[in-house]
Amino acid sequence: MMRGDMYLAWSPDKEILEQAECGGAVTSLLKFALESKQVDAVLAIKARDGNRYDGIPVLITDPQEMIGAAGALHSASPNIARFVKEYLDGASDLKIAVTCRPCDAKAIIELAKREQINLDNLVLVGLNCTGTLPPVAAQKMFKEEFGINPADVVSEDIEDGKLIVRLKDGTERERNLAELEASSIEQGYGRRENCRRCETSIPTMADLACGKWGVVDRKATFIEVCSEKGSALIDGAIEAGSILVEQPDDEAVEIRRREYEAATELARKWQERDFAPFKAMNLDERFDYWFGQFSQCIKCFGCRDACPICYCEACWLEADRGFVLGGEIPPDAMWPMVRAVHVMDSCVNCGQCQDACSMNLPLSRFIFMLSKEIGDIFKYEPGMDVSALPPCRIVTDEELSIGGVELVF
Amino acid sequence: MSNNGFEPRIIGFLCNWCTYSAADTAGVSRMEQPPNVDIIRVMCSGRVDPVFILKAFAEGADGVIVSGCHPPGDCHYDSGNYKTFRRMPLVEALLAQYGIEKERFHWGWISGAEAPEWAKLVREFTAQVHALGPLDWKRELESKED
Repeated sequence: MMRGDMYLAWSPDKEILEQAECGGAVTSLLKFALESKQVDAVLAIKARDGNRYDGIPVLITDPQEMIGAAGALHSASPNIARFVKEYLDGASDLKIAVTCRPCDAKAIIELAKREQINLDNLVLVGLNCTGTLPPVAAQKMFKEEFGINPADVVSEDIEDGKLIVRLKDGTERERNLAELEASSIEQGYGRRENCRRCETSIPTMADLACGKWGVVDRKATFIEVCSEKGSALIDGAIEAGSILVEQPDDEAVEIRRREYEAATELARKWQERDFAPFKAMNLDERFDYWFGQFSQCIKCFGCRDACPICYCEACWLEADRGFVLGGEIPPDAMWPMVRAVHVMDSCVNCGQCQDACSMNLPLSRFIFMLSKEIGDIFKYEPGMDVSALPPCRIVTDEELSIGGVELVF
Repeated sequence: MSNNGFEPRIIGFLCNWCTYSAADTAGVSRMEQPPNVDIIRVMCSGRVDPVFILKAFAEGADGVIVSGCHPPGDCHYDSGNYKTFRRMPLVEALLAQYGIEKERFHWGWISGAEAPEWAKLVREFTAQVHALGPLDWKRELESKED
């Protein structure tokens, strides 16, 4: 199997197939990885005490426990990259298979570029993602918009532009996602804000990209092989009989491509909608707006602690560095500026900063908008390729021959 | 708005080997310059973190200059000026978003032999910032809290 190869895969295990989101292939692959000792542990998400709105990262070492993490939780958005870096020592001495959304994978790759995570010890099992729901708003949305008891929801799905929920009694409810989100900006129903803007729904930067696009009327997972490591894992699993595969036909591949393009198109519309008000403001309005927003900051350090790109041991935001005075609330506008100017070249739009912010400041919107501008100038997309170093660390051959201040890329 | 009594406060981050040297020569040669630029000497323009520029504005500067050795090849530390080259767009993008006029920030290269260039920059940039008026970052913030 090679990079770029695509497969429809499913689990031969009936129990896994039943609990699984698609074909149970991811669960079976991870179980195989543990059984064959290719990895020491699997990092996955599990519903704590069966509560779908309380998804927590779990480290699984017993293959028999893998089934407990089967099924996708759409109302959970843990900070996987930070988890690997802080609590698993950046995978320095443990081989781990990590189930990750594209933003998690991008964040992990950015941290690997900064030598904070050892990618050699990780297998990134990427999961297609068109967005997750903020848990509290999701429960409210189910109650008020859908008229159901949130506890009755057994699975959620985003398909064909619709948010579909399946209930305990076997019935389904659905809403057009774009309409739902556009009509409930105040309440925040639908996906997390940064998810709506995200153009990377298929994690080709991981080792495998797994999802249900391209799978029609059957229980199977569409897997795209994205690296040698991913190829080796899946080959081994097939040989051991842990998963069954077949080639997807052209129509399946085409369906997947169409879904991807539709998701990307919607994401671009959200980017425009989110950024347009700021781009329309004149200088004075921008000054008033942003200084006004950031005067609400209470310096809780939530954004700094949550952001995967913020990895410095000697952080410039600490009082002893002299840039932001200790004991001053609200902090000088330097606070968000330091954060912005230090991470904007590598923002992966994971949205963890905005989720963490105690004052609901539009941090992710602000920094990602700047990041897109910088990405256009430097022709750099964060998180896609571990060998593409951040723009501030490299010099191109073209630059070595210029003499002025015009950027050449 | 009357700017007549206003004297802009400009902070210049100058690299020791090139621009600082040019500024020194300009001074010793009595080249005509207004006194508004306060110079902070750094060993290389690559030392200048974008945060320094923001901090200068936050502490009361009305304008900021960053100047170093010409690429390619003049940098005393080989490629420090390329780091500068990469960082300055970040600052420009941020200042633009925050509503701080881009005319308040200048970055470029002036070699040790270009003392007249330095004097010219000081004259022109001071006039430019003077025309914009004071930035008054802290005062704007206070009036918002009322």
